[in-house]
Amino acid sequence: MSYREKLAWLSLTAMALTFGPYFAIAGRASAMDKAMPNLHLLWLFAIAAGVQVVVQGLGRLWLRHKERLEGGLQPADERDLAIEYRSVRAAYGVLIAGMILVGCVMPFNSSGWRIVNAALAMIVAAEVVHYATVVFSYRRYA
Amino acid sequence: MSPGTISNRIRALRFENGEMSQTELGRRIGLTRQTLAAIEAGKYSPSLEAAFRIAEVFKVDLQQVFQWNSEGVSQ
Repeated sequence: MSYREKLAWLSLTAMALTFGPYFAIAGRASAMDKAMPNLHLLWLFAIAAGVQVVVQGLGRLWLRHKERLEGGLQPADERDLAIEYRSVRAAYGVLIAGMILVGCVMPFNSSGWRIVNAALAMIVAAEVVHYATVVFSYRRYA
Repeated sequence: MSPGTISNRIRALRFENGEMSQTELGRRIGLTRQTLAAIEAGKYSPSLEAAFRIAEVFKVDLQQVFQWNSEGVSQ
């Protein structure tokens, strides 16, 4: 498995571990708690984002160390760049669709924290699509 | 556009050149070992530049490394 595929797996795992629980809690909380600013959810999001940074940071340091022991970190080659291009393009589509939904449709029937959470969910969804496309592409072309 | 596939003789050429490893070949042309493995397996088609670089390492013509097999063309 290439270094970049391992990074994609790490990012997917980190997002599942942090934003998965956050959105599970936020999905249930937002219906009953519409106060703005919602400090309870803000704190939960801050914790999720903080854990995400720690897991990603430690994971990347460990992967980089492991890669150096196995012969050094190689720069991205043409296949890596092609996969990155494809995955960013897929993620961009999800992000644009999500932002249209959140910014142009949701204001007519929702408000407050629901819109905030929907925007965050779309950003996370775009990131999931990005890294999932990376993993899928490396599996397909390996 | 007529369908076809690209096959290659990189594995055989590596063998003929002293069992050159994928890592060594990759290092010489600027590709990772995983990318070379994908090219050898026919799962990734390299750029024209990378194809020429591979041929250059083995000191052969491009057509001795890569072959285009068109389907549905009567010979």
